[in-house]
Amino acid sequence: MQEITTYLAPRRLDEALQAMADGAATVLCGGTDLAPQTESGARQYTAKLLNIRRIEGLGGIETKGDKVRIGAVTTISEIRCNPMLAEIAPVLVEAAEHFASEQIRNAASVGGNLCNASPAGDMIPPLLILDASVELACWREGAVQTRLIPLEGFFVSPGKTVKRPEELLTAVVFDRPAADFVGKFRKSGPRPALEISTVSVALGACIADGRLSNVRVAMGSVAPTPLRARHVEAALEGKPLDAATWAATIAVAVAATAEDAKPIDDVRASAWYRGHLVRVFVEEVLNEVRGN
Amino acid sequence: MEKNVTVSPIAKSTLIGQRVKKPDAPDKATGKTRYINDMVLPQMLIGKVLFAGRPHARIVRIDTSAAEKLPGVYAVLTGKDAAGLKFGFVRDNVALKDKVRCEHDEIAAVAAETEEIASRALELIKVEYEDLPGVFTPEAGALVGAPLVHDNFPGNKSLHFEFKHGDLAAAEAASDCVVDSVFRPHHVTHCCMGTSCAIADFDHNGKLTIWTQTQYPYNYKMDLAPALGLNPGDIRVMQPPVGGAFGSKLDVYPYEPIAALLARKTGRPVKVIYSREEEFKAAPTRQAAIIHMRTGCTRDGVLTFRSADVLLDNGAYTSWGPTIPVIMMRTTSGHYRVPVVDFKAQAIYTNNPYAGSFRGYGNVQTTYATAQQMDMLADMVDLDPLEFHLKNAQISGEVTPQKSFLRECALVECLETAAAASDYSRKRKAYAAARDKPGRYKKGIGLASSIHNAGGAKIHKSDGIGTILKVDDYARVTVITGASEIGQGIDAVITLIVAEELGVPVEHVTIVNNDSDIAPWDVGVHASRTTFIAGNGTRRAAQKAKAQILSAAAKMLNEPAGTLELRGGFVVRDTCGTPLIELDRLLRRMHFQNVPELVMVTDYYEPNSEPEGAKHISDHSAAYSHAVHIAEITVDTLTGEIKVDKVTVAQDVGRVINRMGLEGQIEGGIAIGLGYALSENMRIEKGMLRNPCFRDYKLITAPEMPPLDMHFIESNCAEGPYGAKGISELPTIVIAPAIANALYNATGVRIFNPPMSPETVARAIFEARQAGK
Ligand SMILES: Cc1cc2nc3c(=O)[nH]c(=O)nc-3n(C[C@H](O)[C@H](O)[C@H](O)COP(=O)(O)OP(=O)(O)OC[C@H]3O[C@@H](n4cnc5c(N)ncnc54)[C@H](O)[C@@H]3O)c2cc1C
Repeated sequence: MQEITTYLAPRRLDEALQAMADGAATVLCGGTDLAPQTESGARQYTAKLLNIRRIEGLGGIETKGDKVRIGAVTTISEIRCNPMLAEIAPVLVEAAEHFASEQIRNAASVGGNLCNASPAGDMIPPLLILDASVELACWREGAVQTRLIPLEGFFVSPGKTVKRPEELLTAVVFDRPAADFVGKFRKSGPRPALEISTVSVALGACIADGRLSNVRVAMGSVAPTPLRARHVEAALEGKPLDAATWAATIAVAVAATAEDAKPIDDVRASAWYRGHLVRVFVEEVLNEVRGN
Repeated sequence: MEKNVTVSPIAKSTLIGQRVKKPDAPDKATGKTRYINDMVLPQMLIGKVLFAGRPHARIVRIDTSAAEKLPGVYAVLTGKDAAGLKFGFVRDNVALKDKVRCEHDEIAAVAAETEEIASRALELIKVEYEDLPGVFTPEAGALVGAPLVHDNFPGNKSLHFEFKHGDLAAAEAASDCVVDSVFRPHHVTHCCMGTSCAIADFDHNGKLTIWTQTQYPYNYKMDLAPALGLNPGDIRVMQPPVGGAFGSKLDVYPYEPIAALLARKTGRPVKVIYSREEEFKAAPTRQAAIIHMRTGCTRDGVLTFRSADVLLDNGAYTSWGPTIPVIMMRTTSGHYRVPVVDFKAQAIYTNNPYAGSFRGYGNVQTTYATAQQMDMLADMVDLDPLEFHLKNAQISGEVTPQKSFLRECALVECLETAAAASDYSRKRKAYAAARDKPGRYKKGIGLASSIHNAGGAKIHKSDGIGTILKVDDYARVTVITGASEIGQGIDAVITLIVAEELGVPVEHVTIVNNDSDIAPWDVGVHASRTTFIAGNGTRRAAQKAKAQILSAAAKMLNEPAGTLELRGGFVVRDTCGTPLIELDRLLRRMHFQNVPELVMVTDYYEPNSEPEGAKHISDHSAAYSHAVHIAEITVDTLTGEIKVDKVTVAQDVGRVINRMGLEGQIEGGIAIGLGYALSENMRIEKGMLRNPCFRDYKLITAPEMPPLDMHFIESNCAEGPYGAKGISELPTIVIAPAIANALYNATGVRIFNPPMSPETVARAIFEARQAGK
């Protein structure tokens, strides 16, 4: 058992990044993943515990021009209740709506959800269909350095990302979706509340001239990381919404899920059920996007 | 009229059937209650247990030397410290093991200054195991040549039960329809919010005091003693407030003797408390079983026979789990009028976790089978299930093949009330007709009922209770009772009954029931018995006190005997309610007169039931009761999710005592039953529990609780207190098959292996559609 010998709760980003520069700090945000994981022995604290919640400028939801920026420590509750997001990216609000319980939502952060890199992280599929990127910052050569990574390339395996130990995720950013963009999110588990997703699907597309374009589909819990379902997207790109061909469109999209989703058996569900749910959800969100 | 009394007449009124709050509710709601889990004694050490973490193994070597040397460690115990101290129903258990028979077997235990030191000490204990092939299903355990869990139990055979009545072959021949199915009820566990905890302390005379969560403090002494080599008389059982029990504390489990062994070794109080993960792994389960059931009926829908061949997964040790056939057979033989019965049950040792008793006690599993087969048979003979049930329903005065005497039987009334309130017959027809129409979401309605003992169950030599009642100089009443309070609400019932009899406010009644050195004997909280048994005991004691008070009052006030009553804190004239003297003033006069008289009475109440007996032919309970649940659900046929829209409950409660407590028991019972039906499931793979946490073990939470429409049928049980019957297990028993029958109504699919989880339901519907194509 590692003892925590240093606890830091800086107010400034540069202080935090300097404290992390040796790559040996444990970052604490809401702690809703960290606490149960250390408690169960699945992971260990390092000697230095760094609380990032007091860092100024790390929270908040704002738009600048065409860019939307959500600070890393923004809680799921804040996303859920944000009127601007409800307007421009309601799929995020919808995902927040189905996230855990009131108590957990009040503590859990979007940055923690991404850095925890669970295949079941609920904020991930909606951010993937918004084509979001994450902003990573570190202290190098006496200054704060940042880089922007597309979210799709962020995840490596369960619990692993390309973020280096000395880096802090400072924000998630995405372009303001086009006015005709519609996004939907669906998750499932054996119980309506407090549920870790058995499977989740997010689907977004622009709807213009009776066609789907710019189709983006993301899935959770069907592979070691959340993923963009490129085969399903390809099957849908440019497809018309008219009643005559809609059933066939759904059929090809549903069939294409087999190419993207490679689920496994575990204690929460069998591979069969996950594959089955993905097919059900793809059809469901497609119908919702079309407005059925 | 006594001077100073200016009160106007006090009319007769009754508290029976009113809503009375639990005396401990404000403290619990505000966090003031100090549960056993919160208790700290001076000098107290923390005990921690090393679990095997493997299902079947020989212990080759165990080295505790490093742990013993760790500063802050006061004792390290292993199997040799408990050698020969066998306990349990068949003496197959011991506090610390010399061989591993299941994942949570206790291999070593330490007592240390702090929990951290104790944990570190456990890490320092080196154990070398030689893993053995195990048996993980009762079928595998029963095979010839299967590895033996206990060398002295050949064939892995644990308990066996049998009951036969009538000529089975003839009944089968006379049946037009027979349903034959195999049900596989699964492992679930109690999930008490307060995890298992015990604190043990010895005095210098060798007497043990143990603070524990037990729900049967008196027989507990008898069961704990052999695990420690003590005389049961040298054990004092203290019962601080507990965070739930539900049957899980009806036996001794190894952490309790472990706390005591550590306390004896160190000479200091030792507390053992489980983490949630340890609780999942080491606490008892509901008994898993394989039930092969057959039920027959005539073309007209009259039951002809029921047979059940049950194989129980005993797990590694024998606690209450393998004894559930005692109740399983009562349901097999008594759930509706069954003329011919054939029941067999065999428990087989496996290397799985082992079962204790759990609210519903075998009847949850059995009713899941009987109530579905009733529905299946109704379908075969093309009758509305309601009509089929009514045709076979017993009425007052009938006796079951096992000689359960249904003195006051309200089954017909329960069926008719629930069906009418939910518009059952019309909805069932409409939903069945819509079953094969297009549409993703299907509605279903399902009816189920069951029978359960409602006046105790005489499985011990006595099913009685002792009560001591005293009234002090201020008319405050103390009831010293054997009845344990484990959250079920006997405290409210007792205060209500005393207030009813003695005309004092409920707030003036104190209950002492947490110290076995003080309170008199009782069997324990089980078998839905406490309101019935302790209610009677309390009432009888209160009536004795009342008789003493009124006779003294009559003498002092020169009133004719038999004309006085106690009401509103006064002695009054019964007919007109005129107050004659304050009760407390009267009590002081009685106390401080020339021949002083103190009001203190005792009572031992023994219900008029018969001992269970080896043949299981006896009227083993002082009352029996029925409940009917009608569940209305919406099924998502693609995801398999079942949403319970509403449950209509009609239960024969005998008589409502505390309405709020009754509603609470029905709600809580249904919550447990819903978890069993829909989501709770211990995923045990090769003896290892894969989901020992609330993330992956799904309890029903508030948003999933459906609205309940409750109807209390008052059959007025002659033996029960004010006519009441025991009520608390039926709600847990009946709900799962009601949902299963609703699922069938909605989709045509039946689930024989609960829980009806989304995946199980989705797969069954998917496969049925594939097969139908
Ligand atoms: C009861 C319960 C229910 C839950 N339900 C859901 C659910 O429905 N859906 C869901 O998706 N999740 C759920 N979770 C998981 C968890 O709440 C979320 O993943 C949450 O978003 C994590 O955020 P946090 O701020 O609590 O992260 P923390 O626990 O503080 O951190 C998580 C990990 O990320 C690292 N980290 C955090 N922030 C940063 C940062 N800015 N930069 C670098 N590293 C960082 C931490 O070091 C840690 O490794 C649930 C958890 C619990 C306990």
